[in-house]
Amino acid sequence: MTQQLDPVAAMHLSDAAVSVELETPDMTLNIGPQHPSTHGVLRLVARVDGERVESVEPVIGYMHRGYEKISEVRTFAQITALINRIDWVSGFANEIPFIVGVERLMDIEVPERAQYIRLILTEMTRISSHLLFMSSYPLELGAATPLMYALREREHVMDIIEGLTGGRFHPNFNRVGGVKPAAGGGSTQKKVSMDLQAGFIAATDAAMDKVLSVCDELDTLVTGNEFFQARTVGVGVIPAEKAILYGVSGPNLRASGVNFDLRKHEQVLPYDQFEFDIPVGANGDCYDRYLVRLAEIRQSVRIIKQAVSSIPSGPLQAKVPRVLKVPRGQTYVRAENPKGEMGYFIVSEGGRIPYRLKIRSASFSNLSILPWLLEDQLVPDLVAIMGSLDFVLGDVDR
Amino acid sequence: MTDTRKTNGSNNPIPGFIKGMAVTMKALLTKPPTVNYPLEKETPVARARGVIALDPEACTVCMLCARECPDWCIYIEGHKEEVPPAKEGGRVRTRATLDRFDIDYALCMYCGICVEVCPFDALFWSPEYEYSEYDVSEMLHPMERLTDWLKTVPDPPPLES
Repeated sequence: MTQQLDPVAAMHLSDAAVSVELETPDMTLNIGPQHPSTHGVLRLVARVDGERVESVEPVIGYMHRGYEKISEVRTFAQITALINRIDWVSGFANEIPFIVGVERLMDIEVPERAQYIRLILTEMTRISSHLLFMSSYPLELGAATPLMYALREREHVMDIIEGLTGGRFHPNFNRVGGVKPAAGGGSTQKKVSMDLQAGFIAATDAAMDKVLSVCDELDTLVTGNEFFQARTVGVGVIPAEKAILYGVSGPNLRASGVNFDLRKHEQVLPYDQFEFDIPVGANGDCYDRYLVRLAEIRQSVRIIKQAVSSIPSGPLQAKVPRVLKVPRGQTYVRAENPKGEMGYFIVSEGGRIPYRLKIRSASFSNLSILPWLLEDQLVPDLVAIMGSLDFVLGDVDR
Repeated sequence: MTDTRKTNGSNNPIPGFIKGMAVTMKALLTKPPTVNYPLEKETPVARARGVIALDPEACTVCMLCARECPDWCIYIEGHKEEVPPAKEGGRVRTRATLDRFDIDYALCMYCGICVEVCPFDALFWSPEYEYSEYDVSEMLHPMERLTDWLKTVPDPPPLES
């Protein structure tokens, strides 16, 4: 027995049915911990409503290796080798704030040649870290070709780092009072100097030209590409005041229009002797973060070219006691890591071992803005935003 | 910094695509920079930290390397030996002799601290890298194997004048 429905009532009925159907329960989507766009092992618990991300909760700690704790049972010389591994794409830059902190506690004046070598290697690390971003970020957005070109030129930079220090990723080249002066030779034998090897300056110049050429290639391949712009322009905007509130640092902060670079503000390395600009973005979106990094590569090339042409001669290491005992005291030293502000708070009780080592890593603070930034974004933009922040999970979890 | 966004003023994806293709085309015509690894090999740089070689004659069992190692991956055992006096009526001297010198490369993190602290030049870096094993226990190189690596230690590179 069928009942004749009033057409108006039937319409309302169907409306109700549709709206009930649309009130879908939110889906919880686990992204990671094994996901290629997370640069390591980051798990994102995302509550998604269709394509829209309602909230995101990053779960970190999968890469925790306890560097702060293990530093309390290792000597200062051993810690230098360990902290290379915090942010593994910029190993050398990690050592700088720590070693400078120890030098300040011990009141050691570092020879100028050692400072220049430190500066050159730090900038090379910055180039290699940013070139890795240039290769992985378009890849996350679906462009596989820039990966090959950026990594190809990055290898030239890595070759120079390896030729000088012996390690591609983990140079372990800083020593308290300078850089590694000798290896494979002891006090009773002839020392093998670790000074710049022959051809270093020419090779560096050649590699820097190649880096500049790949920057131009990236300009044509990625920067001017409309697909890339469509994915990044206006996506994931971080306003300057939000960036400061969350403690975002490095290129991510400068992309939001804040002109803050520790290379200009802290006297950790002799940056004041070189001419370079600090690239600053305007809009704080993913595209600006990309542009700032690309411009930073060019500025780093500029610094390195100036530094290798004016490198002073002199000793590689200041006079330091054979058994390294750091006087009682505490200090905090921060420097501009490729990812942002990296700082070490060192407390010494006067022995060979620090009493406490607190590590402030850039990626951890940069990642902390993710829940705010990813709210109300689309799932495909999530990868674009996450990639543009350029964090390394080893740096997040330490 | 120049803002190059929307260079052509339109949303037409074709010009950027063609420009990109030109770059790819250029790369297609150049020689690949990669090395066909198992068939061809790259010579590592002289300073490369590949494997640690031991000169057992120079070692005095002072244990400095084992103590300074951040991973504690060096195992040393030794004993004192009495050396008869060189001259008649001289004093009997004792000399430390090396019994065991193992480096566990499964633990080693290639920091080079041991090479640096050795006061008697008994340890050297060799750039050799082909010593992977199927069993992790095989990564523990005993004294004989470490001594074999000594042949592969290169001369230090000349320095920039």
